[in-house]
Amino acid sequence: MKRFRRQFFLGMLALIAATMAALWLHKRFCALPDYAFLTGWILFAVMLVLTFFNARKKLPFLALGKAETWLQIHIYLGFFTVVLFLIHLNFRAPHGWFEITLAWLFALVSASGVVGLFFSRTLPRRLATRGGEAIFEKIPALRHALKTGAENLALGKEAKSPVIAEFYTRQLAPFFEGPKNFWLHTFESRRPVSALLAELDDLRRFTNEAERATLDKLAALVRQKDGLDYHRALQLTLKLWLFVHIPLTYGLLVFTVLHIVLVFGFSGGVQ
Amino acid sequence: MSEQLPAPDFDAQNYARPNQNWVCGHACEGQPCRHGPDSKGRCRATAECKPVLETKPGETKGRWRCTRPGEPCESGPMPDGSCCRPISKCSPVPTLRVWRRRATLAVIAASFAVLLVLLGNPSWRNNFISPGEISSAHSGEAFAALAATNRLNQNCGACHVAGNSGPNGMVKAALSAEPGFFEFNKFLDAHAAAPTAIDGSCEQCHVAHNFHQPNAAAVSCAFCHAEHQGKLMAAATDADCVFCHGDTVKMAAASTAGSVVPVIHHFAEDHPQFRFITEKWRDPDTLKFNHALHLMGATIPNLPGGAKLDCAFCHQLDAAGAFMKPVAFENNCRVCHSLQFDPETPQLQLPHGSAEFVTAFLRSLPKQYADLAAKKNQPDANTYVQQKLVALRTQFGSGDDLERRIFFSTETFGPDTQVGTLSGSTRALFPGCELCHEVKSSEAGSPAITKPIMLERWLAQAKFNHAKHANISCGQCHDAVHSKDTADILLPAKETCATCHSPRGGVVDTCATCHTYHNAAVAAR
Repeated sequence: MKRFRRQFFLGMLALIAATMAALWLHKRFCALPDYAFLTGWILFAVMLVLTFFNARKKLPFLALGKAETWLQIHIYLGFFTVVLFLIHLNFRAPHGWFEITLAWLFALVSASGVVGLFFSRTLPRRLATRGGEAIFEKIPALRHALKTGAENLALGKEAKSPVIAEFYTRQLAPFFEGPKNFWLHTFESRRPVSALLAELDDLRRFTNEAERATLDKLAALVRQKDGLDYHRALQLTLKLWLFVHIPLTYGLLVFTVLHIVLVFGFSGGVQ
Repeated sequence: MSEQLPAPDFDAQNYARPNQNWVCGHACEGQPCRHGPDSKGRCRATAECKPVLETKPGETKGRWRCTRPGEPCESGPMPDGSCCRPISKCSPVPTLRVWRRRATLAVIAASFAVLLVLLGNPSWRNNFISPGEISSAHSGEAFAALAATNRLNQNCGACHVAGNSGPNGMVKAALSAEPGFFEFNKFLDAHAAAPTAIDGSCEQCHVAHNFHQPNAAAVSCAFCHAEHQGKLMAAATDADCVFCHGDTVKMAAASTAGSVVPVIHHFAEDHPQFRFITEKWRDPDTLKFNHALHLMGATIPNLPGGAKLDCAFCHQLDAAGAFMKPVAFENNCRVCHSLQFDPETPQLQLPHGSAEFVTAFLRSLPKQYADLAAKKNQPDANTYVQQKLVALRTQFGSGDDLERRIFFSTETFGPDTQVGTLSGSTRALFPGCELCHEVKSSEAGSPAITKPIMLERWLAQAKFNHAKHANISCGQCHDAVHSKDTADILLPAKETCATCHSPRGGVVDTCATCHTYHNAAVAAR
């Protein structure tokens, strides 16, 4: 925690210093006739550095520094890029279909990055609070094991309770069948599992001692499945934001390259 | 570097690698096969093992041995050497990583497709890449007609060379741009704003480009006039002016011999004092006028109607409201200075504007009195004329004396009788031409009046609008009540303007408030 605070303090200090310096330089040099070309190239270079973070993860064998360091640079440089973007626009709104599209792409990439940062700072904490560990890639197998266990309890050879079998077929089978309640888990709602456990509890009135023991085991499996769904929902959220951030980054780069071609092609100095 | 070994309880068979592209279709059942899918997502499952043929010395057939990890299976390999426990084929499942790569490729492909479609279609291209609305001066029917006259392209190509071509042409134009892609030294050149190729397009219609002072370096039109900013072309800002006028190098280069062009950043701070003050200009007009006397003098009579003479009586706004109409004798002076020379005959007045006319008028006085008698229906015109002439002779002497009196007298007090439109004992209503004019004797002996030179503008490089200053009194800027000399230039000093036109005064103080870049005289040529 101490290390994280130090990193955060140094990162924020560097970001504020860089922002102040950039704004001072903007005020000092914004009258240069080709100022927009300069800020544009700087912005593009920074965007390439940010994009290279994704490539860095794919090149673990190269001695390019720790991925953690790269992530910190990516985060703070990402915030600084927003400042550079505003400076490049000269703090004016973009005009024209192409420039507006380009600006929106930049805004979406930046916003998704901020959302991703928020997720990566809050969701692991929530997972740790909930407890349990599940590797995302193994969740289907774990779910299958829970489903098999529940089926054996309710419908297996040793199961002799028609009440439990009926309840399992009607209520628990769909629950164990696949991942459930993605959005409710994302928003930390436990309403569905509480309802299911309440129904299981209601069932106790119609069961004998042996069946109650089975119900207890089923309730434990339901809780485990709910925990698994919770892990899946949050871990998937931790991965899904990248489905916006990374593809749009490359789309932004395509549009940016065209933007560079257009501004040079249509600039005053074209022969 | 020490070798990192897996933990003792590490299950290598069930290790899920997050960077794998595909996972076994049986993984969701908790039973992934040992081989796993290949890199292209194809199932590689065959059997639980690949039996090995073991041949002992002396044997010819040999024996197939089960190689299943863990324990060998009970049945053992088939006689043909194949495993007896084939694994059912699965449909490998792509990981999130693959889906993300697919999404990325889809976005890239969609970006290229959209751009190619929009840039490939000429009718869509211009609308799509235009960085904003063109000003009304460079769009619409009037511009289209002008473009047709000058054989210009109606669209982007009217100004941009690249606008006449498709994607290939745009790339070629970009590659030949000046400055080029990576000429950072030129981007950093603080003195560059020189005309570029695009100014050639401007000059197709705007024929005289260099409208500024001839000693100034030429500046590209686009430096001040940013297009694509909406219907109204963005006005030039102070930063545009200060780019040159705040640059000591540029100003030194622009200085002509003997003159120093000052470096200016803000009007209130370092704009120089007006030249009519620093160079002590004097009004060269030969007309004699005492502002202080007319505004403050106790002997100045009230105007017809009783109003007191004030600035506004003589100085009236022109139709545009920007400047004052020139002061004219007929409109502003005659009401007091009526040119009446015969105290008893107010109907007869001297003509104004030409000394020759005055001389001719005086030498035809008998005829003038006769005409007046006819107008007044005098029964005996000759007697009337003689009476008038005798009265004049009595008062002024001979005709030459009268003429001399009229041209050269500077007496300030006149007859004690009603004259003109004013009555009472007042200053002379017409003491003589020389009271106001410079009167000289010509070589022929006749009097000659120097024609007054009334300059309409003193600050020719600046614009001003009196109407916009109507809320302040004249005296706040023009110190007329203390001016007794016609040669005084009654314009305010810079500090007077800066009282309001400054950040502290709160009134707009941009360069363009008073100045215009373009030299109208050059432009007109």
